[in-house]
Amino acid sequence: MKKSNPKLIIIISSAIIGLFIASQMKLNLELITPVTVKSIITAKNELSAAKIELIELEKLVEQKSEELYALQNIATGEDNIIDIIESDLKMNKMKAGYTKLEGPGIEIIMFDNLLLNNNVISYNDDIIHDVDILNIINDLKVAGAEAICINEERIISISEIKCGGPIIRVNDRSLGAPFTIKAIGDPKVLMAAVNAPGTYGDTLRTIYGIGLEPYIVDKLVIPSYKGIFTFNFAKPMEEGE
Amino acid sequence: MKKKGEILALIFVSLILGLILSIQFKTVNLSVGEGALPTQRAQQLANDLKKAQAERESQLRLIKELEEKILQYEKGGVENNIYAENLYKDAMKYRMLAGYTDIKGTGVILEINDPPVDIQFGESFSIVDELDLILQLISVINAADAEAISINDQRYTAFTEIVRAGNHIEINGVSTSSPIIIKAIGNASTLESALSLKWGIVWQLRNYNYIVHLTQDKEVEIPRYRRVKDFIYATPVEETVN
Repeated sequence: MKKSNPKLIIIISSAIIGLFIASQMKLNLELITPVTVKSIITAKNELSAAKIELIELEKLVEQKSEELYALQNIATGEDNIIDIIESDLKMNKMKAGYTKLEGPGIEIIMFDNLLLNNNVISYNDDIIHDVDILNIINDLKVAGAEAICINEERIISISEIKCGGPIIRVNDRSLGAPFTIKAIGDPKVLMAAVNAPGTYGDTLRTIYGIGLEPYIVDKLVIPSYKGIFTFNFAKPMEEGE
Repeated sequence: MKKKGEILALIFVSLILGLILSIQFKTVNLSVGEGALPTQRAQQLANDLKKAQAERESQLRLIKELEEKILQYEKGGVENNIYAENLYKDAMKYRMLAGYTDIKGTGVILEINDPPVDIQFGESFSIVDELDLILQLISVINAADAEAISINDQRYTAFTEIVRAGNHIEINGVSTSSPIIIKAIGNASTLESALSLKWGIVWQLRNYNYIVHLTQDKEVEIPRYRRVKDFIYATPVEETVN
């Protein structure tokens, strides 16, 4: 009996070893797969983005609680519904761009490259396009601009900036060069957003030779949006949907 | 003799087993990538992320509850008072325009997918590299009289910025990545024709091999702007004459 067993023992033990190895590998694979340097960095980025979003949401909760508190005070006679709605209207008008605003900020004057012999390949590189203005405005928004206008045309959420031959159309009005972009916000940050090396504004100026002159202004006045806007297609979503 | 043969066979088999094992480990390393780290850190990060997301959900619920209550109070307050009711309607309009209301209506949905990876050279590029195109798209949509726009469910407001951050983009401070889905409410056929004009912006995108789907939709839903915007530098100018 003892002599005839070894083969069987070997078969059984190798089967067991095989099982062990297989289970070990499965286990290892599960643990290793998601963990590389890259995935850790991605997870970190996601986490920090989520945390920033949370802070924003907390602010929103605070604001809403305040609003609710004010509304609840109507019953006690401390607040008036008309006052509350009026202040809400005022605030939203301001955010929507229907209020004339003033404050510190920067003024940028942009003009086409006027040099005659400047070795450019295409005349297109010499003139200001809608993309250039869009990028400058995006940079200003990143820098926290509170209100922006181009040649006295307020930029709001529904403002278009489109090339139309020799002019640029903004808010259904035609604007010609030179363009004056005004932005209210922290002047230093705004200045850096268009003037620091590597920014879009700097590239425009140094590589394409387009005139771009930003100035810090202590008191800018930015006009309100002049158009009349009505919602024809959009409707507010009903509660409970 | 027979025993020696058996031993030899065993040695042979174990050698092959060893080889197979080492090949397996190598391939695992290759497919997972170098630098597999201890899993503890990753698990911790994943847990933190899950916690943050759960908290976000609960905050969103809280906001919704508060908003419902506010709406009730406001509606109750303006009843039986024509002046207040009109004022409230006006306030609602500007709230909508400022982006603080969920809205829906007819419009278009534009989906931009990254082009497939080039098989020959293995090069790939993504829409997140071309913010110019996104900015131009928004401008074109606005030129076609859109009433509201969202990019990956982030409402486009007067303060919305689009920033490149590594291999993703941040819109309204929320990071998103491709595919980019732009929704716009307005006259659907005007929007569609403005976008799909020959040599127009969608044509240009397709020319760069982006996979673009443009569809009209009767019920485009655009969520509200979720950030608190305070004016720190700007103050309203009191107008003496109206």
